[in-house]
Amino acid sequence: MDNRRRRRVWLGVAGLLFVLAGVLMFTGQGDKLPEEEPQVEFPRRMRGQERERAERRKTWVMPTVVDAGTAAAERPRPQDPLLAALPRGAGRTAVVIEANALRHSPIGELLLDCMMRDGGKELDEFRKKSGVDPLQDLDRLVITDQGMMLSGNFANAKFQELMGDAVSMDYGQGARVYEPGETIVTGPDGNTSSVHRRPAVGIWNNQLFMVGQNPDDVKAAIDRVEGRGPDEPPTIPEGSTYGEMYGVLSVEHLARLLPPDQAELAQRLRDVAQNVELHVDATSDVALVAEVRGKDKDQVTDLGKSLGAALSLARMRAQAEGEKEMAQLLDFARVQPDGSSFKLEMAVPLSVIQERLAFCKEERQAAEADAGVR
Amino acid sequence: MRGLRKTYRRLFRKVGNEALRGMDLSVPEGSAFGLIGPNGAGKTTFIKSILGIVQPTEGTVRVLGGSPEDPRIRARIGYLPERLHLPGSWTATAFLATVTRLKGLKADAPGNRRLLERVGLADAAGRKIGGYSKGMRQRLGLAAALVGSPSLLVLDEPTDGIDPMGRLEVRRILLEEVQRGTTLFLNSHLLAETERVCDRVAILADGRVLREGRLEDLARGGARWMVRFAPGADAEALAEEGFARGSADGVYRVEAEDAAALNAALDRARSKGALLVELRRDGTDLESVLLGTVAPAGAAGVAA
Amino acid sequence: MNPVLGIAGYVLREAMSRKFILAFVVGITLVLSVVALSLRIEVVDGALAASRLFGNELRASIRSVDVALRPVYTAAAFIVFYGGILFGIVACSDFAPSLLSPGRIEHLLALPIQRWHLLAGTFLGVMVLAVGGTLYGTTGLVLIFGVKAGYWTAGPLIAGLMACVGFAAVYAVMLTTATLVRSAALCAAAGFVVMVSGIIAGFRQQIAPMFEDGFSRSAFEAVTLILPRLSSLAQAAGNIASSTPLEVNSLGMLLMGVLVFGFGALAVGFWRFEGKDY
Repeated sequence: MDNRRRRRVWLGVAGLLFVLAGVLMFTGQGDKLPEEEPQVEFPRRMRGQERERAERRKTWVMPTVVDAGTAAAERPRPQDPLLAALPRGAGRTAVVIEANALRHSPIGELLLDCMMRDGGKELDEFRKKSGVDPLQDLDRLVITDQGMMLSGNFANAKFQELMGDAVSMDYGQGARVYEPGETIVTGPDGNTSSVHRRPAVGIWNNQLFMVGQNPDDVKAAIDRVEGRGPDEPPTIPEGSTYGEMYGVLSVEHLARLLPPDQAELAQRLRDVAQNVELHVDATSDVALVAEVRGKDKDQVTDLGKSLGAALSLARMRAQAEGEKEMAQLLDFARVQPDGSSFKLEMAVPLSVIQERLAFCKEERQAAEADAGVR
Repeated sequence: MRGLRKTYRRLFRKVGNEALRGMDLSVPEGSAFGLIGPNGAGKTTFIKSILGIVQPTEGTVRVLGGSPEDPRIRARIGYLPERLHLPGSWTATAFLATVTRLKGLKADAPGNRRLLERVGLADAAGRKIGGYSKGMRQRLGLAAALVGSPSLLVLDEPTDGIDPMGRLEVRRILLEEVQRGTTLFLNSHLLAETERVCDRVAILADGRVLREGRLEDLARGGARWMVRFAPGADAEALAEEGFARGSADGVYRVEAEDAAALNAALDRARSKGALLVELRRDGTDLESVLLGTVAPAGAAGVAA
Repeated sequence: MNPVLGIAGYVLREAMSRKFILAFVVGITLVLSVVALSLRIEVVDGALAASRLFGNELRASIRSVDVALRPVYTAAAFIVFYGGILFGIVACSDFAPSLLSPGRIEHLLALPIQRWHLLAGTFLGVMVLAVGGTLYGTTGLVLIFGVKAGYWTAGPLIAGLMACVGFAAVYAVMLTTATLVRSAALCAAAGFVVMVSGIIAGFRQQIAPMFEDGFSRSAFEAVTLILPRLSSLAQAAGNIASSTPLEVNSLGMLLMGVLVFGFGALAVGFWRFEGKDY
């Protein structure tokens, strides 16, 4: 082949190769924008919106005890009545669920689908019966070791009808306590005793709805709101009110929550930790941060390492057993040691929850369509 | 080669630079061929055309019965470029081994060692080329050209930078190769060297072959003789007898067709009282041939 | 012996004599040795519990060792990819111009080898050098973290080899540039331009909307269609090194495409070199 012909061949080959390269790269990379990597935002501190939310909730000025004029007159600062109502002191449990915020989160939408799987019949019934619309009137729900509290707007609530034969009385400055009627029960030995069939309930200024095991618990909560409670800091300080769910769990409660096969870990928790602060963010994915505090730095660090190892093992097991979703969840799990405390972070991607709860939506749509046909 | 033309074209220029303007030349196999001419005559372009390094714009080149573009033909050619650039960090042995491999030959360490001995580099074979003198590099280049016992040796300034003793050695090697039957193509600015090694010469100027042939044919001065008389010779009287005064004192030139005419002229000079001390044929060296050929064309300077 | 291999050997021998390439190898060895000697990793049941560098505890989370090492491997893959290409551009920029220098190219062209053998051999020699350096560095990294953390993965090795494919495309253009202009600086500049263009080409879908709809956008899309998508390859190398899911449709096709682009550029070089006088 002479030189000129050879050169023409090279040029032709070059052109062909460039075209082939273009096709290969176009097909190989794809022409779609790469999907955003799942970024889980862990609730580690108060964000702007949450700070504003906390400020808005400071509506209650606690009445001050009138003294003889010796103490310097300090202008009382408004407080969040719900936080003030929480039990106080070490070793207590109080977990706040931001029902309204959760309702407007993607997870809330999914949960709502599950709640309304019957087409919303039960919810309507509850609305009519109680005069409270949980989707509109409920702001927060708190679970404590003494009972439950709800905050929101309960002006239209039909408490008298709901409580039936309960005895109601005014208590404090703006509260009303409903004591359930007693029932005489005869035991197998023939002795009789009186028991409350239903828990005691209190309503404070149509804002707080408290449920306690007995009227004293409810009254104690009202006392705390109105400034008659113990002089101890609240279980959940104002600066910790971030996430869609937050609170403090006593170590005892947490240990009891662990499954029986984790008895050893439960015991170590009891031995090492003092309390556990919990924050869950559900604005997109569900991300959990649990801060475990203890007295002994080394013991806490060791516990953190054990937890980290347990999570790692669980992830490896999930990978080995082909449980892709579980492995994916545990991908985000980590333990961040920080002296005498450590933070445990875990996350559940929204997509996984959506997949799991997809049946709720389908059932709701089917129920609604059914109701529409009728 | 026939009708060889080479025009170097430059970007954005309509008219190119013509290095070769229609060259016809034939080099007999087994001859030692010298190429001489002034600067810019096209000698380097010509040599590169033989090797396919430069592709002619027109014309054909046939070397050893084939095209220089054919690697099989180039495998039979040994080439020493004018300014050979050698890898400084290599040893001579490694360089020759690589050249052997690239020539498609089997590794031949003893053969390469013999080659290094032949060019006088046996003692420096293990040293890095970077430490070599210019002359040593030229010797190594020559050794590389000799790898594989080529049928054609193309040498561009082979003795450049080599000391006089070394030149003798190189000349001996070249003569040995010619005797072995290798065709030698030599381009050297040392005309004496060309004269001593080559039996045929081509004179190039302005991209053309002006003269070509056997050295003795070109160098034959014809009817012109150089005569030197003892001091005191009468210049005017000698001029009347056909003796033209030369550049040096007592030197004259005379035209004589044959020996009888020469002796008659000398007898006439002697009759005028001039005493002969030296007589030789004028124009026998290559320099004179070159000057005689190129000067009428207006070329200046003689170089490779 | 194959002339291409012969020229590759010639280039490799030449490279080995270069001090800065030796310095590079020594540098990699030193970095790996320092990391190996100064890093202490405590692994509990597959979780990276603590790590110490020069005796100081690094503040890091306790999590699965492969997850914890992901950022390290991703960073290493990016350093190997872009750093390696950049070093390659600088270190190899004068191989071809030096081979094509007067006095050397005539000698080589007079040897019984085809012209394209010369370029292909140079390309092969440089690629052997690149692959060798990359394998040396990445194997060291894999060994260090494998021994220290008990987590063995070939990810960084594969990522390194992918970087070599990216460099092949870049070096092919540099080699072709050398046949047009015998200048190490221009070769390096051409390599740098291809590298930057390759990064842009990888983000073409994201960048295209910044151009006005019409000719300019179409021109941008057409040009970036054939350019080697280096940033996509780097991203994929990072993903492989850290064992995370790939974002590209088909890595094999992408790799082939980048390599074929290199061969295309090389073919242009052959075309130019075949017609050039020296």
